[in-house]
Amino acid sequence: MTRLLVADDSETVLLMLQRRLEMEGYEVVTATDGVEALDRLNEAGSDEPDVILLDAMMPNKSGTEVLEEIRGRGSTVPILMISAHLDAQEPDRMRSLGATDCIPKPFEWEDLIGKIEELTTSG
Amino acid sequence: MTFNPSLTARLRIGFLVLFALLMVVSLLGVGRLFQIRVNYENDITRYFQLELETEHLRSAFILEQAAARPATAHQKPSQAELNQAAASFSDAARRARDLTDDDTALNAKLGRLIASQASWRKAVAEPLIQERVPPPGVEQRLTSAVTNSGEALAVETRGSRDAARDHARTDTRNTTILVAAGLAGALLAALILFSGLINSMRAPLGRLVEGARRLAGGDLRTRVEVGGPTEIAALGRAFNEMANSLERDARERDRVEQMKNDFVLTVSHELRTPVTVVKGFAEMLTAQREGLNPRQFEAAEVIAESAGQLQKMINDLLDLARSDAGKLRIEPEPTPVRPLAQSIGRQMRPHFDGKDQSFSVSVEKDLPEVDADPGRVTQVLANLLTNANKYAPEGAKVQLAASQVGEEIEFAVSDDGPGLDEEQLEHVFERFWRADSTETQSVGGTGLGLAIAKSLVELHGGAISANSVPGQGATFRFVLPISKDGRPTPTAPAARTKAGAAG
Repeated sequence: MTRLLVADDSETVLLMLQRRLEMEGYEVVTATDGVEALDRLNEAGSDEPDVILLDAMMPNKSGTEVLEEIRGRGSTVPILMISAHLDAQEPDRMRSLGATDCIPKPFEWEDLIGKIEELTTSG
Repeated sequence: MTFNPSLTARLRIGFLVLFALLMVVSLLGVGRLFQIRVNYENDITRYFQLELETEHLRSAFILEQAAARPATAHQKPSQAELNQAAASFSDAARRARDLTDDDTALNAKLGRLIASQASWRKAVAEPLIQERVPPPGVEQRLTSAVTNSGEALAVETRGSRDAARDHARTDTRNTTILVAAGLAGALLAALILFSGLINSMRAPLGRLVEGARRLAGGDLRTRVEVGGPTEIAALGRAFNEMANSLERDARERDRVEQMKNDFVLTVSHELRTPVTVVKGFAEMLTAQREGLNPRQFEAAEVIAESAGQLQKMINDLLDLARSDAGKLRIEPEPTPVRPLAQSIGRQMRPHFDGKDQSFSVSVEKDLPEVDADPGRVTQVLANLLTNANKYAPEGAKVQLAASQVGEEIEFAVSDDGPGLDEEQLEHVFERFWRADSTETQSVGGTGLGLAIAKSLVELHGGAISANSVPGQGATFRFVLPISKDGRPTPTAPAARTKAGAAG
């Protein structure tokens, strides 16, 4: 079963994402901030999730910081950034930091699922 | 400036000085003329008297001659008559002396007359009285000397009288000229004074005019240098107070505007998360309809749809608030027109099919690339096409066309729906305005789509407009600049893309 790590600082959004992704057939691990996301990764050890979804803006440790830390460890796990920035250059900025892809907030559900499928099949 | 009298004070001082000068000049002039007149009259009187005395002298001499040499031979020279005539001569001489004592020429003439008379008496009269005959020639010489002296005195007196008259005339003329010059001088001084007054007002008034223009032009920091006469200085101070107050009001207005913007931004932002959750869960319920009864499924569908509308409205509000705050950013890039038009056409087609409307996309061949943010242009086109789809009735025709107009690319979305009347066209780009309040329920939407479209097009440096003939449909056009380093889009085999008619 495809495993996802999803990090978002809003618990209700996180719960909604978790339930819907589970409905789509994914196994979902959640984190409410960047520090917790790294904890979950450390717990998993070498058994990395198949895709990581990170909200770019989170307290304690932001998604971009987590992104840089994961890449700093040399991990190549596919990472999908969720960003509220409307900037047309935001996807490029995220990719330059090591993100595999980026989706703007708010997104249509079909778009999110499409991106996750792309990442799991190519990864 | 320590001495800075008011305008009225300056005017008063000016008139007072002018009045005083005129008075002084006039009085001096009149006084002088009067003096000249008096002197002239005195002179004339004196010379007339002198002439009179001269005649007395001459007649006294004739009497002396008659006394010394009577006209008839039987009369003897009379000592007594001679003495009487001589006394009369002396009296006249004394009076004449009194009249001439300040005039050397007359004095000299008078002296000569008296002297010649004395010589005549001594050499002619006295011998004749003693009945001696003066030497021949002597009597005639001395007698004519006296006569000539008398004549000379009379001539001199007349000459002096004429000279006095000429002198008085010259004096009168000169004085008149002087008075006229004085009056002209006083007027000139007044003119200088008043022009000084006007000059002292000109610079500060000029500054005020310039300041008022700048203020009217929107530069609220404009202040003027206060100066000039009291009233003008007061006007300057009042102007500065007004500018202060305007600037304060403008700052306050900006602050309130800023607060409103911040409020809308914050609220929209805070609403986004709960709406996302509601929409997400509602969509989840509609996706697993097996577990729901038909009414529950219907409710879930309505929740999902309403949450979708709410999400769209929040995004629109955020866009507008960002636009107002100058935070709405676009990233223009050379963008080919055809793929853009075809992509939005594909996205919108299901909506047109749903209302049995025929929808076509027409892009002119060889169009250069536009300098635009493709995501934002898509947003503008989606708003225009959504409106056409909503407001045109079932079976209507809707067209999206792109063509080159001068140095710009024009996008046009037209329909053959009910259209808009003139009054509606005026308001069509305003926020929360909708074509007809009774239709609001049926068409839905936020009423922000065209306001956002306008903001976005203007951010690109373009312009948007609406045309309509009521009953025959409406056309919304907007233009975007052609990209400077853009190339013409390669022409597809079919020169014009005609996305087939639907329905």
